[in-house]
Amino acid sequence: MAGATIDHLISVTVFLGAILLFISLFNQTIQTAIVYQRHRYLATKCSDLLDNMLLSPGNPLDWGKQNGTPTSFGLQDPEFTQYRLSPFSLMRLNYSEGAPVYYSKTGQWYSNLTMGFGQSLLVPFTEAINYSTAAKLLGINGTYGFSLTITPIITVSISEIQPNPLKLAVNVKGAGFPLANANISYCFITVEATGGEQSYPSYTTDYGTNCTDEQGASVLSFPGFDGTQESYVLIAYAHMSGLVGVGYHEYLRYDENYVVPFISDFATRTVLIAHSWDVHGGDSPAEISYNATFVLLTEDFTLREVPLDNSTGRVGKINYGEGKPYMGITIPTYNPGLLVITYRKSAQESGVVLMPWGISSMGFPVSFGGNSFEMEWVTTDTRQVLVNGIAYQAMLALWSLEGYQVIS
Amino acid sequence: MMRTIEILLVIIIITGAFIIASIYAVLPSPRQVSPINLRRLALTTLQTLDVDYDLSETMFKSSDDPAWGQLQIAVSACLPPNIVFNLTVYDVMSGGTQLYTMYKSISNAESLGIESDAASYLVASSNVTFNVTPEKIGEHGGGGTLYILNCSDANGWWITGYTAQKLAEDLYSLLSPYFQVTVMVQNTTQLGQILNGTKISTSPYENVTNAAVVNTCGEAVPIPAGYYATQGSANSYAKYCYILGQRVSQYNWTWVSIVGYPLYYVCNTGLFSNDQNTWGIYGMKCVASAGLNSFLEGLNKESYAYNGNWITAELAGTVHLSSQAQYYCNYYGVYPSPYHTATRALPDSILARYNLVVTSYIFDKVDTWIPGAFYRHVASGAFLALGLTRTPDIRLTALGLLCDYKPRLYRSEYSVAGTSRLVILQLGQVGGA
Repeated sequence: MAGATIDHLISVTVFLGAILLFISLFNQTIQTAIVYQRHRYLATKCSDLLDNMLLSPGNPLDWGKQNGTPTSFGLQDPEFTQYRLSPFSLMRLNYSEGAPVYYSKTGQWYSNLTMGFGQSLLVPFTEAINYSTAAKLLGINGTYGFSLTITPIITVSISEIQPNPLKLAVNVKGAGFPLANANISYCFITVEATGGEQSYPSYTTDYGTNCTDEQGASVLSFPGFDGTQESYVLIAYAHMSGLVGVGYHEYLRYDENYVVPFISDFATRTVLIAHSWDVHGGDSPAEISYNATFVLLTEDFTLREVPLDNSTGRVGKINYGEGKPYMGITIPTYNPGLLVITYRKSAQESGVVLMPWGISSMGFPVSFGGNSFEMEWVTTDTRQVLVNGIAYQAMLALWSLEGYQVIS
Repeated sequence: MMRTIEILLVIIIITGAFIIASIYAVLPSPRQVSPINLRRLALTTLQTLDVDYDLSETMFKSSDDPAWGQLQIAVSACLPPNIVFNLTVYDVMSGGTQLYTMYKSISNAESLGIESDAASYLVASSNVTFNVTPEKIGEHGGGGTLYILNCSDANGWWITGYTAQKLAEDLYSLLSPYFQVTVMVQNTTQLGQILNGTKISTSPYENVTNAAVVNTCGEAVPIPAGYYATQGSANSYAKYCYILGQRVSQYNWTWVSIVGYPLYYVCNTGLFSNDQNTWGIYGMKCVASAGLNSFLEGLNKESYAYNGNWITAELAGTVHLSSQAQYYCNYYGVYPSPYHTATRALPDSILARYNLVVTSYIFDKVDTWIPGAFYRHVASGAFLALGLTRTPDIRLTALGLLCDYKPRLYRSEYSVAGTSRLVILQLGQVGGA
């Protein structure tokens, strides 16, 4: 009788232990499968969301050219179908990289996309669409986080080989390969700071074409031009078999005082011109004069100058500090292009700054969205897109903000 | 002891079950869990390369042309380094059992790894013309005549920047391919003839009944001298608009108002040589808002009663093309601006009041206001009204008519041998698990 009882006790104990062990083992398998399913779902959601963003222009269709907040988020160019993005909708995004800039004379903070000295895009926070608004409009606020990066496929890098006579090396690369035998169209802008103290800087533009070698490299020579004596900018477009990329290079003789262009109003196409001391501070502030021009990319990949009306502040003088107002100009068109502003303090001290009108004009990359740091699983998807004819790659990173195994 | 043995047997069975379940429940590799959508990447790559028809051009070059080398460089350049590709071009055949024959293939790897995906893209030769033949409205019976008021003795209003004749010309080129016959009504006398049910051309296809009549004079409507001017002169010619509505109903016409407040003026340079519309345009008399009300009364076969109430509204902001209109923009290749300003939107109360049904919205309705729509009377007659502000976009008028008549387009086949090539871009991922 005692033996049967002991047998019973041992068997029940062993059985319960074994059951608990197996439950734990099966649970582990099921849990892994559930996590797998959630990750799989996240990948599908990422692909869908990316298409939603890229294949819809949003509402209103031309919200990129207006000032209000859209009622639906989408980046497609309303004038086209498929994966063609609006260069102006992309301009209205609050970029996640780049420290915001405060301009005391307007009392506003500006979203900052700067690619180097004198190559920036500053959009007022009041006009920019922020991450939280976009997430709400996409219907994923609080459930998913995302980060959208749109980078040019073709990289056109320009460096100086020798200053006098000026020789510049242009290197064209794709995502991993040099672009051999690509055609290059360029615009060479030189600042002429001649004249007396009170005169405005003038500029000359020179256009040309060239072709890259097997290594994707090309050398541009400018005989008779001394690169140490004058400020200049080179803007180059590389194109081959439907792929188009853009690059730029500038040399400045003077950067203590310069002009800073701010987007003021998308609907009226106005741009503010500020004195650098009021924005970034610095030593030896002084009055400077400027001369603005607008160039746009034509269908045959050449740049064409579009004259700014004199009454819109094409030329002017700008000073720093209290009581010295900023200046304003109006971009004449909604066609994407480049605002080129030459400035000078004296005949020897001059420079030039650039601002894209339409994100693609200078091949600026766009980074928009949240930070995926410490998220449990981030999924990505990629599309090739066109922004005003310039080839870009759009990559969306998506992560879940709720649910199983999410680390907050 | 027996129970312990039984339990051990149970444990062995469950262990076996677990092992078997583990063998079959193989979880996929991380790459499969969160894959890059290679199919979409391939499609968008092909679209990017064909942005200026460079890809289409290369596809029809001889297989030893240097353009193929450039294409290979371009494809490699636009794909991430861990993606390999195989691009194969097929000739599209017709007739026989084999639809596609391979023309050329380029690749940057010997194999595409264990998993790949592909997208297809059809390109057309630039040496081939593809025809689109529209179905003629009325070719299966019932109408098919388009009358465009091109009256030389009538001025327009709210067509700022254009003349009625210029708009008539543009409308002719936009719409004449879709109608059995398009007749330009050259003067108000001819307008009087069609109002009397008389044909004005020698075309055997002209049919006054079931026709569409487009008034290119904007807010003004031409008025013939004689009977219509005499009978219609009551209440500053509001009665003429009433008679017009009756005729629309009688002949089952579609009356088209291209801009602004419909039938706000009557115009005839001979008849009103000393009258002007209060804005300095001679040959015109102001009917005011009673014109539209009278027209609708006539269309609804009511007895004439003067009604001078203003019934339209000026809408804030812009109005947007309806989804139906946008669809037909793509179908017919007519692309007016998708948003406009509506200052003469009609109220939806006219639907019940005059027994009208909206069969096509050209613009989205805003609350109770209709900026542009195609109205059909439940018995007979129709009315297309675009209550937009000046200057008119005549493409919207064409789009409005096409939206409702919906003539089909017969496109030539893209699969005729030598005219098209099928491009398959297959992508594979290298490296990783």
